[in-house]
Amino acid sequence: MAPQKSNNFIKKDIKFETNTLNEVIKYLDPALVQIINKIPNDIKERVEEIRIRSGKPLMVCLDGTDYIINKDGSISLNNFNPYISTSLNVSKSFQILSNYSVYAIEEELKNGFLTIKGGHRVGVSGKVVYGKNGLETIKDISSLNVRIARAKIGVSDDIMKYIIKNPNTIYHTLIVSPPQCGKTTLLRDMIRNLSNGMTKYKFRGLKIGLVDERSEIASLYNGQPQNNIGIRTDVLDGCKKYDGMILLIRSMSPHVIATDELGDEKDINAIHEALKAGVKVIATVHGEGIDDLNSKPNLKEIIKEKIFERIFILDNSKGVGTIKQILDGYTYRSVREEDNNYVSLKNIRKSNNYNFV
Amino acid sequence: MYLLKILGSLIIIISCSLIGYIYGNTFSKRVKNLIYLRNCIQLLETEIMYSSSPIPEALENVFKKGNKEISFIFKEIKEHLLSDRSRGIDESFQVICNKYKTHLNFTFEDIEVITSLSKNLGKSDRLHQQKFFKLVITQLEGQQIDAEEKKKKNEKMYKSLGLLSGIALVILLI
Repeated sequence: MAPQKSNNFIKKDIKFETNTLNEVIKYLDPALVQIINKIPNDIKERVEEIRIRSGKPLMVCLDGTDYIINKDGSISLNNFNPYISTSLNVSKSFQILSNYSVYAIEEELKNGFLTIKGGHRVGVSGKVVYGKNGLETIKDISSLNVRIARAKIGVSDDIMKYIIKNPNTIYHTLIVSPPQCGKTTLLRDMIRNLSNGMTKYKFRGLKIGLVDERSEIASLYNGQPQNNIGIRTDVLDGCKKYDGMILLIRSMSPHVIATDELGDEKDINAIHEALKAGVKVIATVHGEGIDDLNSKPNLKEIIKEKIFERIFILDNSKGVGTIKQILDGYTYRSVREEDNNYVSLKNIRKSNNYNFV
Repeated sequence: MYLLKILGSLIIIISCSLIGYIYGNTFSKRVKNLIYLRNCIQLLETEIMYSSSPIPEALENVFKKGNKEISFIFKEIKEHLLSDRSRGIDESFQVICNKYKTHLNFTFEDIEVITSLSKNLGKSDRLHQQKFFKLVITQLEGQQIDAEEKKKKNEKMYKSLGLLSGIALVILLI
C-alpha cells in the first residue's frame, strides 16, 4: 500500500471490527437489537454512536453525520419509515446497561455517563435531581447515547520520536486541540508506547501515573482498564487532577504523569508540584493554537514559563486526528521532519509487531 | 385375631397423627422460612448498601451466604433474570416466588411483600434503596408475628386433632 501524504494519525482505512458493535448492543433492549442487527455489515463497522431517544427515531452516527434507522434496517438521512424508540426501549436498555442496579452507578450517573465493558461510554439524560450536595442523580431517563469506543492502537508510533529524549527520558509534552480532534486518542496511545517501551528507539519504557479524571483514557470497568494503556501504567480513575498527581507522586513513584484536559488553577499548581518532584508531564488541553492558549487565564502562565518542551497542535483540517504542528516549547519552531510527516497504514501494522515488549 | 386388630388400629392411629403432624408442621415451617427470608433480605441489603454490588452479583452472594433452605430462590431469580435480556427484576421475582410458594409454605401476603421489594430493587440510589429495605423488613416482621400466632393457635390443634381422630376412628371400627 502506497504511503499517504498526510498528517492524519487516525486512518479511515483501518478496518473496524463488526464485533465491537455486537458487543455493545448486547447491553440494549432486545427489541432494539433486532432492528440494529438488520443494519448492513459495512455500515455496522463504522457506527460511532447509537442514539436512543424516547418517542423519537432511533439514530446512528457515522462519519460525522447522523442517520435515521428505518424499520427494515436500512439507514437514511431523512424520515422514511423510521423506527421510533419508545420510553420502554429506553428504560429497558438503561436497566441492562446499569446491570439492573442504579445504586451501583450512582457516582457515575452524577457525571452523566456510565462506562460499560469494553470501555464504551453511554451518555444519559433525563430529569436531574438536586439534593444537599448538589447534583444527586438523573431519573426518568429520556435519552441514551451509546458511544462506541474503538481504541486506535498504533496511532502515535511514528511521532514518538519527537517525545522521546535519550537517555530513556521524555520531553514535557502538551497536546493542544479543539474538541473531537483526537487528543485523548493520541494521548492514550502515547501512554501505551511510553509505558511499553519502543525497541525501535531503544526506549525501555517508563513508569507512568495516569490521572484519568473523566475515565476516558483507561476506561476502567470493575477496576480493569478496558483500553490498552501499557504495562507500566498505574491508573487513578475519576480522581481530580490535583489530588491525583500529588497522590501518585507520593505513592507510585512515576517517571511520567499523564493527564487529560488541563485548565483549572489547581491543575497548574499540580504541574508545578510534579516539576518539583522531577516527574515528566504529558497533558492535553483544549485550544486552537499557541495564541489561543495565551489568551486563557490559567494556561497563559505555563506557556509563559515554558514548562512544556514539545507542543502538539491538532485540528481536523484533514479529518479527525490531523497533526497540524509539532512545536518546540522554547522557540515555537516546528521540529517535524517534513519528509517524514505521514503515518501510513503499513507503518502502523509493522510497528504493531513489537508493541508488547 | 387380636393381634391383627391391634396392628390395624395402630396403623390407623399412626397415619392419622402423621397427617396431623405434617399439616401442623407447615405453620412452624412458615415461621422458620420467614426468618430465613428476613436474613436473606438483610444480606441483600448489606450487599447493596455497603458493597454496592450489582443485582446479579448481589443475588449470587446472598445465595452463597444465606441459609440454603431459602437462599436457593435468589440464585434461581438471578438465572431467570439473566437468561432473557427483556426481563425485568420484578418479573423474575414474581415468577420464581410463585413457583416455590407452596414448597416454602408461604402465603399470598408473604409473596406480596417480597415482590413489592422487587418492584423498587435497583431502580434508585442507595439512600432510597435503604428505605425500601427497611419497609420490607418491617413488613416481614409483621408477617412473622402473624405466622407465629397462627402456629401457636393451629400447630398443636392439628397435631392433637390428627392423633385424636385416629383414636376415634379406631374406637368406631372396633
